[in-house]
Amino acid sequence: MPNHAELSAFICDTFSRHVEIEPEVLYGEDLSLAAIIKTSPKMTNSVDLMEAFARTANALRKTWGIRVRLPTLPLDTPVSRVLDIFLAEAAVAA
Amino acid sequence: MNTDLRTDPLATRHARRPTSTKPAILDEIHRAITEGGCTLTEIAWEQQRLHEARRWSVVELISNIDLERLSEGDRVRIWNAGRAELTTKPGADRVARLADAECRRWQGEDDVVAAIMQACGTWSRYWNEEEAHHEVVFNQLSSFLGLPAIPDVEFIEYRKVFPDDEMLRTLTLLVISEIVAAVNYGQCAMLAEDPGLRALFKQVAADEIQHMGYFIAFAKGLVDSGAYQAKEAFAVAHFFIREGGDLYGVKRDRIEERDTHVNWWDHLEHGDVSTPDAIERKQTLIFSALKRITGISVSSVEEVEDTWMDLVGC
Repeated sequence: MPNHAELSAFICDTFSRHVEIEPEVLYGEDLSLAAIIKTSPKMTNSVDLMEAFARTANALRKTWGIRVRLPTLPLDTPVSRVLDIFLAEAAVAA
Repeated sequence: MNTDLRTDPLATRHARRPTSTKPAILDEIHRAITEGGCTLTEIAWEQQRLHEARRWSVVELISNIDLERLSEGDRVRIWNAGRAELTTKPGADRVARLADAECRRWQGEDDVVAAIMQACGTWSRYWNEEEAHHEVVFNQLSSFLGLPAIPDVEFIEYRKVFPDDEMLRTLTLLVISEIVAAVNYGQCAMLAEDPGLRALFKQVAADEIQHMGYFIAFAKGLVDSGAYQAKEAFAVAHFFIREGGDLYGVKRDRIEERDTHVNWWDHLEHGDVSTPDAIERKQTLIFSALKRITGISVSSVEEVEDTWMDLVGC
């Protein structure tokens, strides 16, 4: 199984790719979910954001066999908090 | 007399009796166009027939209500219904505009999808008119009952037009909005003791179910065309029914602040008056709608999420 650092890097890379925002901006500025929707060139609303979460969760399952459930979060949640939730879910699932 | 069909279009016409079958929603719109050769003129005729068959009078139904018999719960539910219904006009205006824009985008690329879009935009005029009945009947009842008037500034706020979204998502959201409204009105009818008020709530609930049927038919038409993906319908359904999702309305722990538009289900004010949510009934109707739109069966919240995630892929 991957360690914490490997999982974290995998989730960060995958999510960054799906929202099409550079990691330096996404995580460097710790964007909120509302800011991600606004900044991403491929997003219109929260449904697009959920789809990016779903794709990230699916990639986790496909690559590592880890199944996480998607969180329901307010739009002012920073991406670092989302990452923490994903990692916590993955740790439980693993 | 010119009988050349190429130069005299009147020569192609022949007398025909009005349709004698009971008016109904065209459930298989994609097949009706592709296999049945159904034209937009014929579709508009079916829409008109059903609209006329379902018309009712606001003045008449209000006159059947004994205002003295209404409970505090009835009064609160009437007031909330009137305010919530204000948001339907911008919804219908948006559908009319979006459907026409999508129609023109698809013309030449997929003329069947273009026709479905135009049929949807055309029907939105009936939807708008029928929803006007709901808005006016409840707000006028509120006025007769001496309930707090909605300030103009709030009226205008509730008229804000929703932001555009992908068409299948938009239609699915409207399916769910109609389901929530229909079930809520059913609850209101069940709780009303006055026969006139009960009849009104039942009439409005029946209208909402009919609107749901139309939105399902257009959404199914888009999926049947292959131009729109089932995942979009599941995405919106999941958004509503997930834990803490929009289906729970004002009872959610937290509701997003928006300045773009008003979601009526986020602004119901019941105070101490209790109206059952009937969440399971709403979920069941959403599962059924997903089946009718996409052909995919689901029977739980978890299955909706699992199916949606499978459809999304990596």
